[in-house]
Amino acid sequence: MLKSQSLLKDDCADNVIKFYADMVYRLAFARTGTKSDADEVFQEVFMRYIKKQPVFENEEHRKAWLIRVTINCSIKLWNSAWKRKTEPLTETIPFETKDDINLNNELRQLPKKYREVIHLFYYEDMSLAEISQALNRKNSAVRTQLTRARALLKNMLKEDFDV
Amino acid sequence: MFKEKYKHMIDQVHPGDELLCGVLKSAHISSKRKISFFYRPVAAVIAVCICMSLTVPALAAKVEPIYKLIYTVSPGIAQLFAPVQKSDEDNGIKMEVLSAYIHGNVAEIYITMQDLSKDRIDDTTDLFDSYSINRPFDSSASCQFVNYDEKTKTATFLISITEWKNKKIAGDKITFSVKKFLSHKKNYSDVRIPIDLSSVTAAEDTKNVNAMGGGGKDYERYTNKGKATVLKPSEAIYGSPVDDIGVTDIGYIGGMLHIQMGLGDRLKKDNHGSFYLKDVNGNTVNCNCNIYFANKYEEQGRIDYCEYVFDIPREEIKNYTLYGDFNTSDMLTWGNWRVTFPLEQAE
Repeated sequence: MLKSQSLLKDDCADNVIKFYADMVYRLAFARTGTKSDADEVFQEVFMRYIKKQPVFENEEHRKAWLIRVTINCSIKLWNSAWKRKTEPLTETIPFETKDDINLNNELRQLPKKYREVIHLFYYEDMSLAEISQALNRKNSAVRTQLTRARALLKNMLKEDFDV
Repeated sequence: MFKEKYKHMIDQVHPGDELLCGVLKSAHISSKRKISFFYRPVAAVIAVCICMSLTVPALAAKVEPIYKLIYTVSPGIAQLFAPVQKSDEDNGIKMEVLSAYIHGNVAEIYITMQDLSKDRIDDTTDLFDSYSINRPFDSSASCQFVNYDEKTKTATFLISITEWKNKKIAGDKITFSVKKFLSHKKNYSDVRIPIDLSSVTAAEDTKNVNAMGGGGKDYERYTNKGKATVLKPSEAIYGSPVDDIGVTDIGYIGGMLHIQMGLGDRLKKDNHGSFYLKDVNGNTVNCNCNIYFANKYEEQGRIDYCEYVFDIPREEIKNYTLYGDFNTSDMLTWGNWRVTFPLEQAE
């Protein structure tokens, strides 16, 4: 029998992966900045999910787990000796407009820890408390990171965007 | 302003189809092998060849087929597995515990199931939830299909046991037993369900049920203390994409499209599936949540249901088509296989 409020075992893993695929991939891309790294992180996150088959209290718990693992995998990827010694691939997402391309390029200038906070706040619509819980950081640390990220963005984007 | 621009940009970011399919395939086989392995096939083959050439010859005379298999998957740990080779036979099928690798509070154990007379074991063999592991410590365990050898009709599985309290488990004994298994499973992907969604109306009859599980971002919105309002299952089947699985009702409740899947023999055969929609451009739309329930418990005639809830307005539903992925099993084999063996630390 399926445990309450949880998508469990094989029959539900498909649903979970399909449902959270975009969320995980976009966060990985926001954090790493390249398609190839996002691919790598995406695989690693769901391999951990498949292998561990974690049980969650509710969907918020599952979402927070996936966000935390995505960030951890992104950090691990970046810290690996292999990564430090290799040149980044130029392959990227074929964005529709020049504004999108410029914005992506500007965001890649931000420190990585700021990019993830920007993404979770502006795209996932998460509150500071939710972000701090998902990333296992202090609320004050997340607030500081978001404030600094906004300041940097304002400086970089100038009058183009109201951050 | 920034939020809209950022959303516009990041909305264009998706995992590629090949990447997503690879991960979904891994979910199906629940393999422990990293997906990146098949993303770098050339490097992987070279790595395996190098490792085989360096390590296998010295052991070749004694190496069992399973060790060759372990070498191909994880050469680094292959030599850490200690042989067990204890077996039990019933109903013309032999179960053998081949080898075990104990490290810290984790035990990894390879077992095989071999059909000695018929064709009941195949490459879809699934121990389902019918295996049990008796051990003198609190632990969690999983069992994964690893490989099938057609010549010997042998399926190999990897069992992983983790003790909860982080203690070393070497020195203990465990008993692994299997009472039944599924085989000859069929996997149907991307099946179009011939139902005219433009004719779907508000649900005529609904039912309050005890939700047995489910998920999705709106799951908690649709359940209250374990109860959920769903379509009343009909006896008629509106569309039966595969044997034992069908659409048992479809309609709108509170502005949300509900599509109900009926699953016969779910507990015996692990029949399962998922519904999703595709728009006119072929884009997939997944449900906001799904809810599992059943008409009765532990009784004859039990039918399991999974209701999928989509956020598609009625005036737009004509632009969508219903699709599904399904898994069924043709054979359930009973027996009594049981092996007790010590968990010994590899030297």
